[in-house]
Amino acid sequence: MTTTTASPVKIELRDIVQRFDANLALDNTSLTINEGEFVSVVGPSGCGKSTLFNILSGILTPTEGHAFIDGQDITGQPGHVGYMLQKDLLLPWKSALENITLGKALHGRVSTQDRQDAADMARRYGLGDFLNHFPHAMSGGMRQRVALMRTLSFARDVMLLDEPFGALDSQTRLEMQEWLLQVWQETGSTILFVTHDVEEAIFLSDRVVVMSPRPGRIQEIINVDIERPRRIRDLTDPRFMAYKARALELIYGNAKAGA
Amino acid sequence: MPTNLSSRWWLDILIPIASIVGLLLVWWLVVVAFHIPSFVLPTPMATFQAIGSDWATIAQGILVTSQSFVLGFVIGSALGFLLAIVMSQSELLYRFLYPVLIITQAIPVVAIGAALVIWLGFGLAPKLFIVGLIVFFPVLVNVLDGLHSVDRDSINLARAMGASRWKIFTLVRLPATFTPLFSALKMSATFSVTGAVLAESTASTTGGLGVYLAIQQSRFNTAGVFAAIVVLASIGLITFLLITSWEIAATPWRRTSVVPRRRRFGKTLAAAASGTGEQASVEAVHSLSRP
Ligand SMILES: Nc1ncnc2c1ncn2[C@@H]1O[C@H](COP(=O)(O)OP(=O)(O)OP(=O)(O)O)[C@@H](O)[C@H]1O
Ligand SMILES: [Mg+2]
Repeated sequence: MTTTTASPVKIELRDIVQRFDANLALDNTSLTINEGEFVSVVGPSGCGKSTLFNILSGILTPTEGHAFIDGQDITGQPGHVGYMLQKDLLLPWKSALENITLGKALHGRVSTQDRQDAADMARRYGLGDFLNHFPHAMSGGMRQRVALMRTLSFARDVMLLDEPFGALDSQTRLEMQEWLLQVWQETGSTILFVTHDVEEAIFLSDRVVVMSPRPGRIQEIINVDIERPRRIRDLTDPRFMAYKARALELIYGNAKAGA
Repeated sequence: MPTNLSSRWWLDILIPIASIVGLLLVWWLVVVAFHIPSFVLPTPMATFQAIGSDWATIAQGILVTSQSFVLGFVIGSALGFLLAIVMSQSELLYRFLYPVLIITQAIPVVAIGAALVIWLGFGLAPKLFIVGLIVFFPVLVNVLDGLHSVDRDSINLARAMGASRWKIFTLVRLPATFTPLFSALKMSATFSVTGAVLAESTASTTGGLGVYLAIQQSRFNTAGVFAAIVVLASIGLITFLLITSWEIAATPWRRTSVVPRRRRFGKTLAAAASGTGEQASVEAVHSLSRP
């Protein structure tokens, strides 16, 4: 939490507590993210990463605390952020283009301009030949691209990506990571990204939030001080190795100590 | 799904025709080979002759029976569909109504025929009731399954996008019912013809096919009985075909990889380039739409 950028605050979570019956999924969690930042969240299964996202997206109202976007209290209010999961959740009866414009369809009618914009974006990002295809006729990588474009077309301002590339093979995954960074640079979006892969988190992010479970809380935030654009060779940079060692120690250190 | 076969349209038509011809051939062979007397089983030819010679009465019967069959079918499936939607909105209602619905299915239709006549008279009503009851349940159960099959996360995604309950229903949940709905309709199409005949035999004074069948039976006119059977089977078959065509049109994503022409982006240009394959037409749109 030591970023000294001039960008205004985009997302703020203030004293969030989430209980599911007796289970304390999130304990007094606060987090501030600046506009245009790329922040990853890592941590063991069940530490409340998805819960955090559900609260930010407004589909879950926390037991205590508030969420803000652009200074506006949006606690329990959906419709302010884009949201994407590991499952692409494309509607099988809609074409790639119709899936991209789903956000518009859910709010009324999809205009000719909306379709044109979606098609332009799809072409720019290499999906031009599949605009009219049903999801079942596309590869896993392409489907995730469509899912990300659906998110972009709905709300490019703030995007919450919950393990978006978790189901892809490592080759496709690398391509998607590079593509995501390209999209992020072009759009200036603020991105919050959940992953189980510490390397992926460090490679993509400005900051990595490390969480711990039972109760879920933020353990430490690592500032990734490696210049952009990032390259594959950064993966073996000594700084990168140090960040990775620190993150792994935070996640697995306790378990090792216990064994 | 055998996509390699269904991609050639003429096979879609030829193969079923061949199988029907084959069935008639087997029927004919059985009669000839085992020297079956015509009062036990007439040949296909004799049956078709019986249809031809009595066509005026049979045509009238087709009209009368189709009326109760089609109306009952539409009303029964519409009610099943609507009730499924209502039941999917409330867990309490669902639990309350389910046992009642199972009981309605456990009632043998034959047994209530007479009671229905007492309650509803000899008109169209008892026939619609019986046909409707037959489609109602499969449609209800399948549509409920379809509504419940939607991924919780899909609904959450739509909610996160700030969609209303109504929009989530029409865009995310409703289309998931199409495939199971059509399965139910196809399953019950042939079966409810039987229902219509059954209803007529207990509750009809007008000249439907069920009545015609009963009369031929009482006269030991086997050719007439088979004439009625063939006509009834044809009604079931035609209904099945109509539903299947509707299904193909309504659920294109199940058999093609590209959306139908009218839904395509850049469809006019794609239409102009049709015949050169999907890829080519999309490419054409691509290059033309660039300034
Ligand atoms: N709707 C819910 N009802 C009850 N408990 C829940 C609910 N959602 C999450 N939990 C619980 O809250 C805790 C945090 O869950 P969450 O899904 O946020 O974890 P996660 O960090 O995303 O895990 P993973 O890495 O496996 O996705 C878990 O113990 C989970 O069982
Ligand atoms: Mg999760």
